[in-house]
Amino acid sequence: MDTMRCAADTPAPLGAAKDGASESAMLKDKIKVLKKLYPHARSVLLPALYAAQQLYGWLSEDALEEVSRLTGVSPAEVKGVVTFYSLFKTRPLGRNVIYLCTNVACLIMGADTLEDFLHNTYSLSNGETTADGRFSLVIMECIGACDKAPAMLVNDDCHFNISMDNIREILDNYK
Amino acid sequence: MVKLTINEQEVEAGRDSTILEAAKSVGIIIPTLCHTKGLEAYGGCRMCLVQIERVPRLQTACTTKVNEGMVVFTETEEINKARRAVLEFLLINHPLDCPVCDKAGECLLQDHVARYGASEGRFAEGKRVHPENVNDPFIVRNMQRCILCARCTRMCGEAQGAYAISVTGRGAHSFVEPFSGDRYNCEYCGNCLTVCPVGAIMSRLHRHSYRPWYVEKEVETVCGFCGVGCTTFLQMRAATIIRTLPKLGTGVNKGLLCVRGRFGYDYVESEGRLKTPMIRVNGVLEPVSWEKALAYITTRLKDIAKRHSPKAIAAIASGMCSNEDNYMLQKLMRFVIGSNNIDSTARLSYAPAKTYIEKIFGTAATANNISDIEKSDGIFTAGGDPTAINPVLGIQIRSAWRRGAKVVVSGQPGGLGNFIDYDLNSVPLHEETVLNTIVIGLAEMKGYTGKNPYIEKKIKALRVPCEPELRATGVLLENMEEAIDDLSRLKNPVVVVGPALLQSGIPSKNLFLVAAIAYLIDARVYLLSKKPNYRGLIDMGCVPDSIPGGLPVRPGQIKLKKGVTLTVPSDKGMNLFEMIEGALDGSLKALYVMGENPVFNLPDREKTEKALKALELLVVQDIFMTETTRHAHVVIPASAWSEKDGTMTNLGGRIQFLRKGAAVSTGRSEWRVIADIAKALGMNETYSDSKEVWEEITQISVLHSASEYEEIKGVGLMWPYGSVQFQGGAEDFEVEGLEILPEVPGRKTSEGCVVPGNKLYLLPERSLFHSGSTTRKSKAILSVSPEPYLAINTVEAGRLGLCNDDTVWVKTARGAAVVTVKIVMDCPEGVVMLSNTFEKVNFNALVGYAVDPVLKCMVLTDNEAHIEKL
Amino acid sequence: MKNVILRNIENPNSHRIEEYIKAGGYFAIEHAVNEMTPRDIIDDIKKSGLRGRGGAGFLTGTKWQFASLDPKFPKYIVCNADEGEPGTFKDRVILERNPHQLIEGMVIAAYALQSIRGYIYVRAEYPHVEKILNEAIKEAYDKGFLGNDIMSKHFRFNLSVHRGAGAYICGEETALINSLEGRRGEPRIKPPFPVNAGAWAKPTIVNNVETFANIPYIIETSPKAYSFLGTKDSPGTKLFCVSGAVNNPGVYELPLGTPLREIIYEHCGGIRGGRALKGVIPGGLSTSILTPDKIDCPMDFANLSKHGSMLGSGAIIVLDDTTCIVKIYERAMRFFEHESCGKCTPCREGTGWMRTILGRIEDGMADMEDLATLEDAALNVAGKTFCPLGEGAAHVLLSAMKHYRGEFEYHVKYKKCEVTDPSQRWGHLSMGELD
Repeated sequence: MDTMRCAADTPAPLGAAKDGASESAMLKDKIKVLKKLYPHARSVLLPALYAAQQLYGWLSEDALEEVSRLTGVSPAEVKGVVTFYSLFKTRPLGRNVIYLCTNVACLIMGADTLEDFLHNTYSLSNGETTADGRFSLVIMECIGACDKAPAMLVNDDCHFNISMDNIREILDNYK
Repeated sequence: MVKLTINEQEVEAGRDSTILEAAKSVGIIIPTLCHTKGLEAYGGCRMCLVQIERVPRLQTACTTKVNEGMVVFTETEEINKARRAVLEFLLINHPLDCPVCDKAGECLLQDHVARYGASEGRFAEGKRVHPENVNDPFIVRNMQRCILCARCTRMCGEAQGAYAISVTGRGAHSFVEPFSGDRYNCEYCGNCLTVCPVGAIMSRLHRHSYRPWYVEKEVETVCGFCGVGCTTFLQMRAATIIRTLPKLGTGVNKGLLCVRGRFGYDYVESEGRLKTPMIRVNGVLEPVSWEKALAYITTRLKDIAKRHSPKAIAAIASGMCSNEDNYMLQKLMRFVIGSNNIDSTARLSYAPAKTYIEKIFGTAATANNISDIEKSDGIFTAGGDPTAINPVLGIQIRSAWRRGAKVVVSGQPGGLGNFIDYDLNSVPLHEETVLNTIVIGLAEMKGYTGKNPYIEKKIKALRVPCEPELRATGVLLENMEEAIDDLSRLKNPVVVVGPALLQSGIPSKNLFLVAAIAYLIDARVYLLSKKPNYRGLIDMGCVPDSIPGGLPVRPGQIKLKKGVTLTVPSDKGMNLFEMIEGALDGSLKALYVMGENPVFNLPDREKTEKALKALELLVVQDIFMTETTRHAHVVIPASAWSEKDGTMTNLGGRIQFLRKGAAVSTGRSEWRVIADIAKALGMNETYSDSKEVWEEITQISVLHSASEYEEIKGVGLMWPYGSVQFQGGAEDFEVEGLEILPEVPGRKTSEGCVVPGNKLYLLPERSLFHSGSTTRKSKAILSVSPEPYLAINTVEAGRLGLCNDDTVWVKTARGAAVVTVKIVMDCPEGVVMLSNTFEKVNFNALVGYAVDPVLKCMVLTDNEAHIEKL
Repeated sequence: MKNVILRNIENPNSHRIEEYIKAGGYFAIEHAVNEMTPRDIIDDIKKSGLRGRGGAGFLTGTKWQFASLDPKFPKYIVCNADEGEPGTFKDRVILERNPHQLIEGMVIAAYALQSIRGYIYVRAEYPHVEKILNEAIKEAYDKGFLGNDIMSKHFRFNLSVHRGAGAYICGEETALINSLEGRRGEPRIKPPFPVNAGAWAKPTIVNNVETFANIPYIIETSPKAYSFLGTKDSPGTKLFCVSGAVNNPGVYELPLGTPLREIIYEHCGGIRGGRALKGVIPGGLSTSILTPDKIDCPMDFANLSKHGSMLGSGAIIVLDDTTCIVKIYERAMRFFEHESCGKCTPCREGTGWMRTILGRIEDGMADMEDLATLEDAALNVAGKTFCPLGEGAAHVLLSAMKHYRGEFEYHVKYKKCEVTDPSQRWGHLSMGELD
């Protein structure tokens, strides 16, 4: 088992009591800074969406409308962009998100048994969240760890060479 | 030009053209689905694959540019197999529900399958399921039928600039949706309906009500809702309009329409249409025959002219009516009755602004191609949201912005909101300071050319606003400075002037300042016109001080062909405001109102009503009963926009044909009725059709003297219609009273500086959905905008503790009304807005007006408002 | 063997700027800025014969020259770090362990093209990489290798990271540019090519991480020294990332032209468990599969295309004889379907259709007619799509069906897999029944 932890961009926990107005102001300031990275204001859209996702945990319709207002990109277009990419969270997900790779290299090394394991142990299927909100599962295309297959991300931590022997142990660290 | 061979035929094509265009130029049609006129090539559907010699793979004709010596084949077995394959792929998810699909018969997919052969249907798995959405008042969305050609989203974004819909999701599971996923809540231009090649986006209004082959007749005409003059096609079955459609690439609108033009036409078939003439007997309007009504009018007019004088008779012309209608009314007044008392509601702002601008820059100044706006590199707008007043013109501004033009907006940005570089939205009554600052800044940057010493002298006399004045505008100085900087660099600028510029503050000074901006940056000027034919009626002489063609009224004789001589009366005619005053003071006894509703459309309703009540004779010619017909002695049913032939002149000076679809009512063309009255009063000329009226116009009007009726066909006839125009001299230009600044109500002067009052002003909202008395009879339009509302911005709403949909009293010195609240982000502080559309809430009953001493336009007064929650 | 790209890789702190400089890093940019004109650099890159390492293998120097000849300014330098081709993890090593070499390559490119702005487009699946890059960029700013006055030469170049959001198609350069501009990552019509109208309609070069990482070496040595590595047609070294059924999967930097056999049996220690080789996907999932008889194929652009495949990203996926080809390509097609952007008809509708048929074959629910339909559908997609995604999907399936026809037919005829007993996943072989 191999793990690489990454502290970047851990989303704010859901339901954490925050003042809505100050959140909006924070997002506004953040986007204002991000806009400077691009020659055209609308190009800030992807970073702005990440900023909103980090702040709110996921991208609700309200969050999309707010991003729309702050970036000048129309709400419909924002939605079009968000839904094009598979890693924006357009629904609230569990406290921990398991991104399991099942593409060919991982498949050869037994990723499908891991998928079955998650299904049998946590009743998790792709896109679903456990009843206790502890885990969500997102089936991934290649995550570029084919030499250490099968691999998965849990939140922003990479886990490599996962097997039926160690997957339970890995997941036990995420409450 | 390059030479190439297509299907063994030699073709010559422009260097930049695509194979598709080159083929089309010689009549070779290559099938397409995602390609459409006016939108950039997309290359998605793969229907237009062609074979090019020495190129290994098939190429899309819509994206491949021609090359010298290229050899292209458009129909080979390989190509046809590929096209059949594309159709088979599309039919994987497209349902075979043609029998219940409204598009059947004009569906591109259906046509292509018919041509290239149906596939064997080898797809064994289930189709994508996506329930039809019928929750929107205008648009039915059936995404099962969508072939993801993205024509609609590109139209919505690239052309309309609304970006209200987007492809949502990715791959085969994507579909087109508005943000809400349900109702569109958009500008409802309906341009997505025009381009959808299949039955995925359909009109709700026509759902299951007709099949395309029911259309018996198609008539090309000009839209009757605003001054842009979009070309539109009436599709008729018997006497009914089935639908109105634009054609891509056609007309000043190039195939775009707005919500009013596309959906609002149903008012002509409203049950409220007047069917028979009526005369008031014992206070009640009673139906009478046409003969009796016309006899009554002529007798009464003769009598009043005899007892008082022709000067006791006046007429109000109509921006909704054709040039011929307006000309005939003018002829009746001026040459038959002998009075210069003719005017229209163009007096409120359009006509004075036009006269003033033309005095400075010459008569050519306001005659400009609307479609040239998008080629401009910078646009300055003031006085109202062009995307609501003249939507298709507004789209040109958006389009210019997307191409890199700088857009500077003074006032509420509205639909230009996301297409603006500088938003100079000042608080009420302070726009003047902003404009003043820009003029002084531009004069410093650009210097003076000496072209017009009169205006330069006035610019030099302007006082630099002091800091508290600037602060009071609510616009950041640096914003103004950057805007000045950008404006000063423009090479092909445009200035757009809307009616709101003239409605508050000091209209003459506001307009002078905007004209000075146009002068300093050498811009073309466009005057927004909510009514379709304001420009035409002015050209037709429906103003007290000039005859048809724009020459000033000079008493004397005009000789026409066939020995006809017309006499120009010598009186100084009354303008619209003077008519009201005249009726009140007894100098005016009779008023002929054609296609206008002064009671509703003039501020100070009480005064107008009092004036009309005092008249001996009020004739109203209209298609509906209105607030004005309530006071009429005679009411004459008129023909609606779709029921008559004639010409209209758009705001840029383009004359276009208005063509008759079919008559729904028994109303008669206004000009015919007026000609009958004129004849009874002694006119000798007779006219068999509107063309003969036009021919007389060309004899009397120097402006139209060289225009040929036949030339109006197609894209219309552009100003100056083949004639050589007299260029208004700079020496004509004199703005009186500019140096003496009148006091404006609501402001105090302290030490030479103006400070803002903490007040709310009620201003008219010019809605995208409504244009007064016609759209309020359109069921379609009412389905999206059914109720009046009070627009207020977030700050003011917060201060008053108001939320959306709260019911409030709006009270002014003139009256009060109950309306619901709508919070509108870009509504400026210190302003509440109310549209003048609905019968139950008449904006003009709540405000008064004064007349600007220089422009003779109206300026709103008594519009300080108090809002009380109900 | 000389390490060009992975030099200093043994150093655990190789990602720090001090270590990079100690190992001779940022010498090339100094040399370039002080002694070379932008034109010299482009000439050197052209002379080196460097070909893009992202997949298409376009000549890097030529690309730069096109962009530099376009009179429009500003010009943009974009690094494609959207490594999404299944089986590929070579750029990840550079990004994690040698980010400064990438940055240096980009700064040299910026100097050559007089560009003032660059972006590194990183895939969202590498969350930790974004952090490493941001730290490296900050270090480079602090040392004056990035910023408004680079090396006090009034040369300005600013660089930032743009994070993707999970879309394989954004590895295609025009789709990447759309994504950078904040749009849906759909590919654009070419021409105009990005070198003339790329990001924000300005001349833009988009190069792969590995391509940029080659630049410093070429500048600090010479084009000649560089072309000395590898073969004539494919100079330089290449990162080969090997995964699947080998004993030592991982990233190997080897000269282009190294035979496949040497990579698998020498560097990677042979097939796992000593099993037989069944096939090799040589350049990522979108490249056609090679049968064991092609094992001596030299791994370079020309030889692989001679064998009907492509060098692609250099992602070698090794399949042993326990692998079910139908299952692999059903999964592959699921990937292509999932990643199809939906812009063009054949790819959008075709990938899903092919996947459903493959699924039925895999599940033993198909007949021979389905096999014919599958092949015809693939032929109808191949050569008709807007961009290489759908094209690749159809081609890899067609080549698998050609080379492993028997296995597909076995699935159809016997309703089960030839290589595995259906009741036992990845169990023992049951070969030979068909013969």
